Amino acid sequence: MKRYVLKRFLQSLLAVLGAATIVFFIIRLSGDPARLMLPPEASEDQVAALRESLGFNQPVWIQYIDYLKNLVTGDLGNSLYYKDSALSLVLGRMPATIDLAVSAILIAVVLGLGAGILSAYKKNSFVDHALSGGVFLIQSLPVFWVGIVLILIFAVNLHLLPTSGNRGLTSLMLPALTLAAYPIAPIARTMRASLIEVIDQSYMTTSKAQGFSKRRRVLQRGLKNAFLPVITVISLEFGVMIAGAVVTETIFSWPGVGQLIIQGVSNRDFPLVQASILIISIIYIFINFITDLIYLLIDPRIKVQ
Amino acid sequence: MNKTKLLTILMALTILIAGCSTTSGGSSNSAAEGPLEITIARAFDITGLDPGFLTENAQVVDNIFDTLVKRDENEKLVPGLAESWSKVDDTTWEFKLRQGVKFTNDETFNAEAVKYSIDRVLNPDNNAPTASYISTLQEVKVIDEYTVHVITKKPDPLVPTRFNRYPTEILPPKYTEEAGQEQFAQKPVGTGPYQFVSWEKGSSVELEANPNYWGGEPEVKKVTFRSIPEASTRVSALLNNEVDIITAVSPEDREKVTSSTTAKLSTVERAGNTVYVGLKTEEEPFNNPKVRQALNYAIDVKSIVENVLQGAAVETNSLIGPKDFGYAGEFDAYEYDPEKAKALLTEAGYPNGFSSKLDTVGWYIKNTDVAQVIAEQLKAVGINITVNNVESSVYRTLVPSGKQSGMYVLGWSSTNTLDADAAIYAILRSGESYSTYANPDVDAKLDEARSTTDEARRTALYKEIQEKVLQEAPRIFLYQENQYYGIASDLNWNGRVDGSIPVSTITAANQ
Repeated sequence: MKRYVLKRFLQSLLAVLGAATIVFFIIRLSGDPARLMLPPEASEDQVAALRESLGFNQPVWIQYIDYLKNLVTGDLGNSLYYKDSALSLVLGRMPATIDLAVSAILIAVVLGLGAGILSAYKKNSFVDHALSGGVFLIQSLPVFWVGIVLILIFAVNLHLLPTSGNRGLTSLMLPALTLAAYPIAPIARTMRASLIEVIDQSYMTTSKAQGFSKRRRVLQRGLKNAFLPVITVISLEFGVMIAGAVVTETIFSWPGVGQLIIQGVSNRDFPLVQASILIISIIYIFINFITDLIYLLIDPRIKVQ
Repeated sequence: MNKTKLLTILMALTILIAGCSTTSGGSSNSAAEGPLEITIARAFDITGLDPGFLTENAQVVDNIFDTLVKRDENEKLVPGLAESWSKVDDTTWEFKLRQGVKFTNDETFNAEAVKYSIDRVLNPDNNAPTASYISTLQEVKVIDEYTVHVITKKPDPLVPTRFNRYPTEILPPKYTEEAGQEQFAQKPVGTGPYQFVSWEKGSSVELEANPNYWGGEPEVKKVTFRSIPEASTRVSALLNNEVDIITAVSPEDREKVTSSTTAKLSTVERAGNTVYVGLKTEEEPFNNPKVRQALNYAIDVKSIVENVLQGAAVETNSLIGPKDFGYAGEFDAYEYDPEKAKALLTEAGYPNGFSSKLDTVGWYIKNTDVAQVIAEQLKAVGINITVNNVESSVYRTLVPSGKQSGMYVLGWSSTNTLDADAAIYAILRSGESYSTYANPDVDAKLDEARSTTDEARRTALYKEIQEKVLQEAPRIFLYQENQYYGIASDLNWNGRVDGSIPVSTITAANQ
């Protein structure tokens, strides 16, 4: 048990280092930011001077070693544009992103589980097909389209909710709904499949023999066991949301990390992008790690060698 | 049955929200109740508030700081922190400063403050991003408490213009030194009509009226600059009365604004970039002027402007906008004539046309659509074009590094200098990063025009340059874009050609 946890922990660390390395090199593929930081009229001499002062004239591997050195001491450098510590900028935007991701995952879990349970309970009926089709359709809609349509309905036409920004609960509604559209389907599908499997298993047949009504049987016994694979899906989707709110945050000008990444990438603000991706990777990998541990604790069938 | 459940849940949620929400995200100033407070939504957040070190435009900071020279509503240069200015000799300008002005932290505005503000940008150790805007300056000399001399390296006709735009805003020396560059960018202090209140990174900046402003206290008491990057969301926010002014209304959204009862559209004709297709004139087949002329005859700009851009730009062969110094009216040239284009191609030795690539980027109105139409029209005269859409941050370094295709789309404007020099020097002078044209005669004229203070001579030079360039056709001449602002009906304001938003000029409409 202890060895397994330690192994998973080391694997997680390795994954974080991998993410840090990949982002470092990928963002440098398209060139350096010196030209972008100056107005177009700036001369090549000015660009060269700035490049030197930022250290981007050094060979990439030297930059990489410096980057790793600083990483170990927790120094992720300063944003080239904000001139502020990249780490504190990212951490400052994190609460907004987490608010959004948590609200969205809650909406998705409620709707997804509801649809999944209902589908399993009414297996192969019209209701089942309609629900499966429905969540699949919602999943297929492009995020920006959902966002813009929701704005048109609830803000422009009904004047119920604000279009954008971050001013308390009302402005959280639309972006959370938009972000929730995608993960409803995988949660519903997993719940349905897993519940059907559990219902078909022999101990459910046993309880049938004991004369429980179908509904109680499903809800009391089936759900608990069927829930295991769903936990994995939910936690994975939650990780994706922390990372994937980029489009939603842009549409609703939600001041989270996603917006910061977009800005950072379009300006080639290396330290800012590196810090954002690193923090998000750590959160994502940590969620996975915790999910595995939960699994270990609640599923008696997993025996760690 | 389940759909109804789902709907019921949604309805319940909606009713719940409706019950506890007040949709006054922005402000509606109906019936002039209390002080006038407005919200302006732009596409970008700021990254700092130090006008000497901006990496974006100065729309926000221009309200916190003053420059020595300002522009009035007709874009004419008028006194700002300087009461008057005059040329002492070819390389010396004298500015007489306004007396009795104080920064909002009570520091006194004087000649020392002017010298300090300019010196910190000129100092090469500071790597000020916009140092190039004032690189013609040698130094600022303090003559007495309220007189400065600006010494230029060569004669520079643009000195008053340079002192109207960033990075020449005037800062309080004492506070700036104490705060340090980083801190100052977070908490700026100036002499302007507004003072800084707060900045929520990524979402908004709040300013309040400066009650002791030397130009009188402005009518708008509080202004919030919000960033809403998505164009359609910006329009929705205006229609939902969350914001009062929005910048950069996209041409598709114009109709939504004009048909609204609570907002109006402000059109600023030809305030945007002059968009053209640049040609690498040192490469075949673009080194042949006949080919370049043929390209111009082959393009039906009028139909592109009308049908693709829906009139969001103005067709023009002029390199210089109508509000810029050096504008010589419109030139007649290159009507749409595909037959003439074919004839010229044959003369140039390309009877069967040729193949090339056209690079585009999403910076200009419907750029990809325009490029596709250009490719279609060129196909009609036998030229095969592959349209190559490039990501924005790559494009910004593509042209300066010379790695773009033989044909590439670019837009240029005089930005807030409103002078021909800014509009054309960087894209026509050989050796400049964005230029793919080299003509010794044009080079000499460009150089002379930026180093003589004789206005009549400058005007003549720019006319000659344009005539020459029109004939040589180092580009496909297209159009100059308009800019659109959405404005709440209860406000009086119109967008400006120089792109600035002086909040002190916004007033409540008399209803």
